[in-house]
Amino acid sequence: MNEANKTFDVPQSLGNEIGGSGRVYFENVVIDNLIDALLELSAAVWTHHDRVLVLEKVLAAKDIDVSAEIEMHVPDDVEIAARAAERDDYVQRIFGSFIRRPTGDLPGRQTQSEEGI
Amino acid sequence: MDRGQIGILPRPTSLSDESYLEFVTSFRKFAIQRGFPALATIGEAALGEALENGEVARPAEGKEIPLFDIKRVFAKIPLVPTWQRFVRSQQEMMWRRTRESFMHNADQTMRDMAAAEASHPERIHVDPDFVPPEYTRCEIHCQPGGYTDDPLGGLVFHYGTKIFYEGANDQDELHAELAEKTTLPADDRVERILDIGCSIGQATTVLKDLHPSAEVWGLDVGLPMIRYAHMRAVQRDKNVHFKQALAEETGFADGHFDLVLSYILFHEVPVKKMSDIVAEMFRILRPGGTFSIFEFPNNDKGQVTPSYRFMIDYDSKNNCEPYSPGFVQSDFRGILETAGFVVEAGPPVSNPFLQSLVATKPAT
Repeated sequence: MNEANKTFDVPQSLGNEIGGSGRVYFENVVIDNLIDALLELSAAVWTHHDRVLVLEKVLAAKDIDVSAEIEMHVPDDVEIAARAAERDDYVQRIFGSFIRRPTGDLPGRQTQSEEGI
Repeated sequence: MDRGQIGILPRPTSLSDESYLEFVTSFRKFAIQRGFPALATIGEAALGEALENGEVARPAEGKEIPLFDIKRVFAKIPLVPTWQRFVRSQQEMMWRRTRESFMHNADQTMRDMAAAEASHPERIHVDPDFVPPEYTRCEIHCQPGGYTDDPLGGLVFHYGTKIFYEGANDQDELHAELAEKTTLPADDRVERILDIGCSIGQATTVLKDLHPSAEVWGLDVGLPMIRYAHMRAVQRDKNVHFKQALAEETGFADGHFDLVLSYILFHEVPVKKMSDIVAEMFRILRPGGTFSIFEFPNNDKGQVTPSYRFMIDYDSKNNCEPYSPGFVQSDFRGILETAGFVVEAGPPVSNPFLQSLVATKPAT
């Protein structure tokens, strides 16, 4: 390669298409937001379900039954804060679409009526 | 944490990312394999009724129903905006989480690509003064940064397209099929091969496996694509060359190649560039050389159904495919023939949406 020693900086985030307010397909933008929320919620439920499946496999392979211990677990302050931060992120991921598109009057509107059909 | 590979495919950097993206894959399968056929059935039935009752005028013999009328009828079906929302949201979830996941290993990926370039600099060819023109820099398929502007783009493309192919190309199976179905020149002489618009070189390396004594090149406009392609090839001990250049200005000598392959390149360029690329391929093929093309369908004989025309229009506007309607409406075969090629149908492929053509440069 004749670009010897060139370095490449990877931006943390980019993407005009998937950024911003995105696209709107329904006359009532709340329906767009509800579907996005439903999709994120479904993905989150599956992700947690998948993790529990893996966890059960790993524990079973070690002959460990932790059900009772899980029920009795009391978190310390650090764990409480960490779990709260993770939970806040989870809520943002699911319900963020309502903030992303607060109104239907946005540049990305692609409804059939505004295309004149 | 390095979670290893899935065969020759990179594994997301956490189980949570992998589970999330597997959900997106299943949802895409649902939307494309079940949602679109339902939409097509309902839409075409509604269109039939509209033709019957005069709401839509019957086209003259040899003419097509205007896209405007197809969209007007389809717009009345509640499933349509739902399906559009589903597909767009799925694309956004796919790219967002794929990039987020691999950003955790971005430094290592950059080091791996640099190491491959240090070990085999003779196999990657980049003009430091080359600047991708604006028409190549759109975020095709909504990929952040497109093919040109994200240094991590090759890796993001690799896993993102795993989802796009719904798991059917995890080990490059579809690219292997295309490479195997690439038509050889009549004299079977294959010394130099070009994979034009090669992206991350999935077909390029298979072409080398199939023709081990040939010199094999992959060419793409995106530096992130060819850097990742080169790294992958070096890591897998595949002796192939990758070059960053425009398909319409390859820089190769006249008659240099015996065989050229292109896979879904032409619908991603403007029609004018398409003609320029075809002329360039004619120039760099030797007499008797063959150009195998696997591509979107053209509508020059009205063979694309109304529901597919609706879907391609949607895809163009909502999946950042700005040039595909122009390609579908073009006389692609005529452009190939005007350039001097003799064009025949190529071998059918397992994806029935694709057309397969073989364009041969006459031997004399």
